[in-house]
Amino acid sequence: MRELIEDILSDAKRRGASFADLRVTDGEGTSIAVEDGQADKVSSASRSGAGLRVLVDGAWGFAPTNTVTAAELRRCLDDALSMAKAASGHITEPGVVAEVEPVEATIESEAEIDPREIPLADRVQRIFEIEQVARERDDRIVNTRANYADGVGRLIIANTFGTFIEQEATRCSARLSTTAQSGEIRQAANESEARPGGYEIIDAIDPGEWAADVADRALALLDAVPAPAGTFDIIIDPRVCGLLAHEAFGHNAEADAVWAGESILAGREGEQVCSELVTIADDPTLEGLNGSFRYDHEGVPAQRHDIIRDGVLVGYLHSLETAARMGVEPNGCARAQDHQNEPIVRMSNTFIDGGDTTLEEIIADTEEGLLMKGGYWGYVFTARGQFTCNVENAWEIKDGKVGQHFRNASFAGLTLGMLSRVDAVGSEVKFDLGGTCGKGGQGMPVDAGGPFLRIRDVVVGGQQQTGSEQ
Amino acid sequence: MMGELLDIAQAAVEAAQKSGADFCDAYCSDSTEVSVEVEKSSINYCSTVRDQGLSVRAYVNGGQGFATVQQLTTEGAREAAQRAVELARAAHPDPDFVRLPDPAEAEPVPELFDEEMAGLDAGAFVDWCLRGIDEARSVAEDAIVQGGAGAGWGESALASSTGIAVSKRASSAGLSFFVIIARDDDVGTFFEQDMARRMQDLEIDRIGEKAALEALRQLGSRPVPTARVPLVLGPLATMSLTGSVISAAEADGVQRNRSWLAGREGDRIASEVLTVREEPLVPAGLRSSEYDGEGVAREPRALIDEGVLTTYLHNSYTAFKEGVGPTGHASRGGYSSTVGISPSNLQIQPGEKTEAELISEIDEGIYVAYAGISPNSVTGEVSTTLDFGFRIEDGECAAPISTTLIGSTGEELLLNIDAVSSDYREEPGLILPSLRISDIQIASEG
Repeated sequence: MRELIEDILSDAKRRGASFADLRVTDGEGTSIAVEDGQADKVSSASRSGAGLRVLVDGAWGFAPTNTVTAAELRRCLDDALSMAKAASGHITEPGVVAEVEPVEATIESEAEIDPREIPLADRVQRIFEIEQVARERDDRIVNTRANYADGVGRLIIANTFGTFIEQEATRCSARLSTTAQSGEIRQAANESEARPGGYEIIDAIDPGEWAADVADRALALLDAVPAPAGTFDIIIDPRVCGLLAHEAFGHNAEADAVWAGESILAGREGEQVCSELVTIADDPTLEGLNGSFRYDHEGVPAQRHDIIRDGVLVGYLHSLETAARMGVEPNGCARAQDHQNEPIVRMSNTFIDGGDTTLEEIIADTEEGLLMKGGYWGYVFTARGQFTCNVENAWEIKDGKVGQHFRNASFAGLTLGMLSRVDAVGSEVKFDLGGTCGKGGQGMPVDAGGPFLRIRDVVVGGQQQTGSEQ
Repeated sequence: MMGELLDIAQAAVEAAQKSGADFCDAYCSDSTEVSVEVEKSSINYCSTVRDQGLSVRAYVNGGQGFATVQQLTTEGAREAAQRAVELARAAHPDPDFVRLPDPAEAEPVPELFDEEMAGLDAGAFVDWCLRGIDEARSVAEDAIVQGGAGAGWGESALASSTGIAVSKRASSAGLSFFVIIARDDDVGTFFEQDMARRMQDLEIDRIGEKAALEALRQLGSRPVPTARVPLVLGPLATMSLTGSVISAAEADGVQRNRSWLAGREGDRIASEVLTVREEPLVPAGLRSSEYDGEGVAREPRALIDEGVLTTYLHNSYTAFKEGVGPTGHASRGGYSSTVGISPSNLQIQPGEKTEAELISEIDEGIYVAYAGISPNSVTGEVSTTLDFGFRIEDGECAAPISTTLIGSTGEELLLNIDAVSSDYREEPGLILPSLRISDIQIASEG
């Protein structure tokens, strides 16, 4: 295989490509769905293929195949060159790549237990037992859904610099959703455990704690009332903090958006863009998180990237191309969903760093506001720097004490502004938002986290007018 | 090739039956997509992606096994079939599974495949993109254009152990531009797009211009007061809200009690001015097809009739479990996706006054050009940002809004619709008027 890959890349150069890379994948996975006490859906998928990218006269061409044979790879080369030639002559911003030293590496899977060694019936039983705990928690739990998934695969990354990396990867995940109902009110809570690793991830789940907690959260929301609307001081938990770091700053720090004029952070390096209490970084080298990896999909070693240090914008996340465009060293942030997509700049594990106070101190010091826990979803329009974060729970804070429980709340703001109003940062950082980030039609595993922190004067979209104004 | 695809699908079905499947079906597809990407107002990337694969769904005692492979060979089909049966045996039996549907005759839906479209090469899409960039820059010299253009075409085939054997060809092409216009620290952005199944329906000109004109209008955005106000949802926001509500009527979620529309069939869930029809047989419609993802013949129907939820959306599993006939809503996202439920072309019945007339009757309110107003499918609640919109003052759209959220429920939004516009955005198969909704809570910094 190596000889074939190197032949294809040599041919690409001989036929005019200034750069080419090839990713070859081969993998398989199993998933099991349990709903309301029946593990009645079991699936498997076999995926393999290759994606070839060429840069010719500043124009990129890309062609993948699902069949990794010499003939198909040569067809991909013809197609990719033809695609690049169709674009060349119309390029006003020629594509470039930063030159990097070639990397030769073989990475073995970090899995302690290969999930394929666990009999399928045992995997079915295990996810069934997790779902069972949530289902039997309370009569008001009216729906439970659990999903188990594993994937084992091999990825080869090779390019015309001479990089050749073979990495094996294993991922396992369990997800659980519960719906609780009381009268006309239905509320839901979700949780997932997903990261690189083997079946030990599933073994480590304590259903009595993990699944019961998801059910309890849905049940608690039945007694919550709709959140108020207006402007509030908010205290957010590590999960919401991670969502904020990811949406408000992470996407804006992706250098493809910065270079394209699509980020509110463009041209602001060295500027104070947040409170000096705020430091934000993205770090794929952290062990055991959903966004962790050893090499990105352009073969650049993973490394920590500081984005904001003490409130000052200090860096962006780069691919080979954005690094070359902006005259900096590549820092290993390009990843592709699969062989049918080209690598683009992605976050990994994004977080706000810890400060020097505690949640208790922050609450005691808050006269009036909202405590928000559990990030559901978020999104951002990077060019305007306008983001939205939806949360599972909010509680009223009055005179330093936690009061009424609220449901159905989002907060929104502008990237340049909101984090300038951070005035208290907890000391303990937690990563609690392992999930999938979507960008450019590609999903990618990421994680996010942070401490508890307080932000002044934030717009909250709730249903109640009462109590909305401070 | 379509005959070959059907042969492969039927080989998979035979193999699954030989392996012991009570019921099974197999789906194959072979598609090609060519696309051109624009970044920073320059052509950036051209790609051509051919994707082939198949999936087999097998049932043993109601337990479902589903196996996919990314190849189209008879040997691969047989292996996937055997694997699907093994998986079905490992699954728990499901007493609610009854059977897969029987074959049915359906009138062909014409013009889902356009030879001209399927013959387009990357050079055509480069040309469309250059046109879009030029148009945007004719509106504002410093406009930054992102986006792209492309087309996809392909064939698929479905066979089942109940005798279903159908195949189809389809094509689509589209272009989309997102325009950014910056003035000092102020940024205006917006997007425009078009998509069609045949060349004659595709609007290639003026997409870049429209996006740029709207981006210009978004400059100078400012917050509004926190209050209860009327909203006018433009066609794109209407599409988001109605699409989300119809999704909540999918029978799987309803039967499992995880939909806010559970137990509401036959109820008034919306104002009587709202009628939403589904028209799956529109020639060249974006979501048209004569059969659904399980080979059930599709037919037009009202989904919301003068505010009343008339039906849930079923695939064969949910229909037979309920003791009703399949409604033709089984969906497949491709060979790698399991069978779900989704509607086809949604058409909202227009009202009597134009959007401008509806706005003219509002003293103080918000016009929503675009927002993802999607009530949570379980709770029915929604709290989200009105991403692109304008303050309505004295019957006219005034300044664009910034950082403005709504807090509401799907039911409140639907019941408070007091008018549907007579003018509408039309996409192939889709009719999208504007909706006026009274008395909704918004929050902002103003």
